[in-house]
Amino acid sequence: MKRSKMMEFGVGLFMLAGIVGIIFLGVSVSGLTVGGGKDTYTLQANFANIGGLKSQARVTMAGVTVGRVENIELDTEWYDARVTLALDSRLEDQLSRDTTASILTSGLLGEQYIGLSVGGDPDTLADGDTITDTQSALVLEQLIQQFVANMATD
Amino acid sequence: MNDSPLVVVEGLRFSRGDRDIFRGVDLTIPRGKITAIMGPSGSGKTTLLKLIGGQLAPEAGRVTIDGHDVHALSRKKLFALRRRMGMLFQSGALFSDLSVFENVAFPLRVHTDLPDAMIRDVVLMKLEAVGLRGARELMPAELSGGMARRVALARALALDPELILYDEPFVGQDPISMGVLVQLIRRVNDALGLTAVVVSHDIKETLSIADYVYVIADGKVMAHGTPQSLNVDQDPRVSQFMHGEPDGPVPFHYPADDFYRDMLNAGNAGEMR
Amino acid sequence: MMTRITRLGRHGCDLVEALGRAGMFLGQSLVGRPSVEGFKLWLRQMHFIGVLSLAIVLVSGLFIGMVLALQGFTILVDFGAEDALGQMVSLSLLRELAPVVAALLFAGRAGSALTAEIGLMKATEQLSSMEMIGVDPLKRVVAPRLWAGFVSLPLLTVGFSVIGIWGGHLVGVEWLGVYEGSYWGNMQSSVDFVDDIGNGMLKSLVFALVVTWIAVFQGYDLVPTSEGISRATTRTVVYSSLAVLGLDFVLTALMFGELG
Repeated sequence: MKRSKMMEFGVGLFMLAGIVGIIFLGVSVSGLTVGGGKDTYTLQANFANIGGLKSQARVTMAGVTVGRVENIELDTEWYDARVTLALDSRLEDQLSRDTTASILTSGLLGEQYIGLSVGGDPDTLADGDTITDTQSALVLEQLIQQFVANMATD
Repeated sequence: MNDSPLVVVEGLRFSRGDRDIFRGVDLTIPRGKITAIMGPSGSGKTTLLKLIGGQLAPEAGRVTIDGHDVHALSRKKLFALRRRMGMLFQSGALFSDLSVFENVAFPLRVHTDLPDAMIRDVVLMKLEAVGLRGARELMPAELSGGMARRVALARALALDPELILYDEPFVGQDPISMGVLVQLIRRVNDALGLTAVVVSHDIKETLSIADYVYVIADGKVMAHGTPQSLNVDQDPRVSQFMHGEPDGPVPFHYPADDFYRDMLNAGNAGEMR
Repeated sequence: MMTRITRLGRHGCDLVEALGRAGMFLGQSLVGRPSVEGFKLWLRQMHFIGVLSLAIVLVSGLFIGMVLALQGFTILVDFGAEDALGQMVSLSLLRELAPVVAALLFAGRAGSALTAEIGLMKATEQLSSMEMIGVDPLKRVVAPRLWAGFVSLPLLTVGFSVIGIWGGHLVGVEWLGVYEGSYWGNMQSSVDFVDDIGNGMLKSLVFALVVTWIAVFQGYDLVPTSEGISRATTRTVVYSSLAVLGLDFVLTALMFGELG
């Protein structure tokens, strides 16, 4: 009887581990978010073109990661991209109002991320505010087109 | 109890591959008696039991048990009919993952709703009858061949069947456990009044307990009668088998070409295959 | 010429007959009401099939994850794209390696054991005697093993993926110095729950069905001698490996490829 109890316990544990595994895969690998992230605050930023930026991409300041992209959607008023950033709450009310957000690329083919650099305005950005000074992603095709056009006019 | 035979086999034909095993076998098994089916090895005696039990289907002919045509029954009805039979397999065929006690309890647990205490009583009774009540906690792997067969007998008897089929119960037993089994089979039959079919080629032991004997050879019933009448049968084939003579109508040699010619052709033997 | 065509025809007939037998076998085993007794038998088989395969599956998963990270890093670092390591490791594992490798290991560990066990029960007439007692061995012996196989393999596949991703993390982040946030972040942005994890699980479920079916049927249908058992065990591993790899191509083409 004792042996069969041990066995049942083992099977129970096995199935439980499987379920926990599925949840882990869901939450931590595919990024299904269930609540969480209490120690962040959000800022908005509008970009004319986000290039290959994806949600969950990181947000850096002087190369240090300070948050991630939470959401990307099309702003139907201006027809540009409205990006929601989730930043470390330690930075709340610390960033100046004229902070710049630019979309950068790590390496030649690497992922795209957002870099923030602070300005000199004494006013600061609070939760839910919008960064006005933004710089769009560099799109390789446009660069080449410009380059070719310049060559042609020469 | 009525006097009609319990099992009737009519015109049974069965073949395996190209080999005919039965070419029209007729048998009747009377109620309450021990009927022996004997024959040389390879004459399909075990196959006959499987045909009676409905595990194999014949090509022609039929088997009726208590009026039911075994091979015309639905799967469900066949399984219901099998509850009235017990079968003792050559190897015992105990379930290797269950203890002796659980093996005997198995038919009771699956076919009855008896409470545990009553199952325990029945199992201990059956084990006591085969003299192995003390071995109930052992696993089948720890039993000797003779003990395993006795446990299997207890299991076959657990549901108090009307018909019990013994497949080679004496094969590979030492003289003592052989004697025990012979006695058990006879005693069980007398005490419970059940119908038994014993398939065997151990002449002495089988004749000592059988009420009626069928001898099968070459896919047919070669002879039948009481043990006494068969012992004095004048048919040379019957007397060869009954008295265990090495050569006779059943030849010692497997069919072959002339020996002298075969020896001279030694060099060609490989190519001929 | 005639005899060759005849022989081909006979092989064809044999094949169709075997497939038919296997199909009937599966149908007869799986139809039936669930019961408390059946649940207990199933639980027992879950232990033998699932829990006891866990160790080999987890160890293999760990090493495969670690190797993936190592190999991936050396290639990705040339393009300055080592941040994509998490994405590479997790997608390879979830879509492809975890279902396939876990199924192959499962066929070798549990499948061959199933065949041998059922074959031995057949050779020692345990299945016959069960039939004579009036219990259907398809329900009593085969069905719990089939169900346990169907449930175990997907669970084992989850374990394989999780530990593989953790192994990739160990090598990539802890040893090679990929930034931890980009390992997980990149993974999360590229892995889709339904498309990647869901399809991987679906693959694994199909493999579970096929491998367990082959293993149990080979055991049930074998020639009951010691040679027959050893042959059937080999056949189980060979047939199930081929079936897994072949089906994997078909499923991948349907799920992720442009072929569908």
